[in-house]
Amino acid sequence: MVSIKIKYTKTERARQKKILKVSERMLPLFEAMEKSLMATVNTISERIEQIREQIERNQKATESWIAVMSDSWVNINEFISVHKIITKPTDVTGVRVQQFESVDFKVIPVNDDTPLWVDDAIELMQEQLQLLAEIECLTEQINLLEKELLDVRARIKLFENRRIPNAKIAIRKIGQKLQDDERLTIATAKVVKIRKQAEVRV
Amino acid sequence: MSSIVYLMCSLPSLTFGQVPPMLLDEFNHDAKSQLSVKKFELLKAINIQGDNTTKGRLKNITSMLSEVQQDLSEIRKSRVQKRQPYLERLPRTVITVNPLEREKQIMQWQWEELDSIESNKIFTLIQVIVYKLKLQILCRIHSFNAESGTQVLASVINPLKNEEDKKW
Repeated sequence: MVSIKIKYTKTERARQKKILKVSERMLPLFEAMEKSLMATVNTISERIEQIREQIERNQKATESWIAVMSDSWVNINEFISVHKIITKPTDVTGVRVQQFESVDFKVIPVNDDTPLWVDDAIELMQEQLQLLAEIECLTEQINLLEKELLDVRARIKLFENRRIPNAKIAIRKIGQKLQDDERLTIATAKVVKIRKQAEVRV
Repeated sequence: MSSIVYLMCSLPSLTFGQVPPMLLDEFNHDAKSQLSVKKFELLKAINIQGDNTTKGRLKNITSMLSEVQQDLSEIRKSRVQKRQPYLERLPRTVITVNPLEREKQIMQWQWEELDSIESNKIFTLIQVIVYKLKLQILCRIHSFNAESGTQVLASVINPLKNEEDKKW
């Protein structure tokens, strides 16, 4: 541990006591925040997993007719594209994140001579794109929460390893020094008193 | 007449579901060299997909194609209105099967209709047009490919990722 410079005064001792009191009060709050952030990150990860499974299920359901998408008559790319992902800002465990709302699609209307499978493909693609956009938003949320989690962990470490032990050491050292000073003052006063009494006797 | 006979005799026979024995461009090239300009323009104007407004001798073909479109339109409307579609020509099974099977069934139905249209029309322009439409059907069925379909789906669903993959 790095040695700290301490001012051996009563004011400094009071200040260190205040630091200790605040730190001991803040530490459980940060620990609770860490737990809460970890739980939220886990919940979001589970949601991402669920969405991935849904995407997988949709893909499996499409396997039986996926071949039609290479239809030489149709270029499905022209029919659908993502215009905008709509999100709204929200606070998750004290962190401001963007919550997924919906996807604004740019869909070209189908004509009567457009093959029917295009309707099914657009429906499927809309669902898959929505799910992927949600994953994107949730991943971004996890990134922000993990950044906050790192920050909170650093603070916990700071309180546990630096602030609280340092304050305790400082308080102890100042107390000892002040006691020593007091004893020295009393002893000096006694010596002076004895000398004065001896001078009076002579 | 003789040019149509020559053209039809030089063309390979077609069976539903087979690999197309020739490309459409090759067919058009052969037809252009054998048919008169007027007949070739008629042939060029008719396609299995899209608006076919030709009348007269080809009414059978164009009405068959437009009736298919009407049925497709009815299926679309019924989906929006959440009701059972009333189909005029197409078999009702097309409603229940998956999109790939549906397209195949529609094309098979068109193929059979084309068969009945061309019966007793040997060495006529109708037979040439039916041949072209059947060749278009075969080319379309042949284009259905699971691997390419997966790539098409991926290109729509994850365009950014695919671009990155291509870079690597």
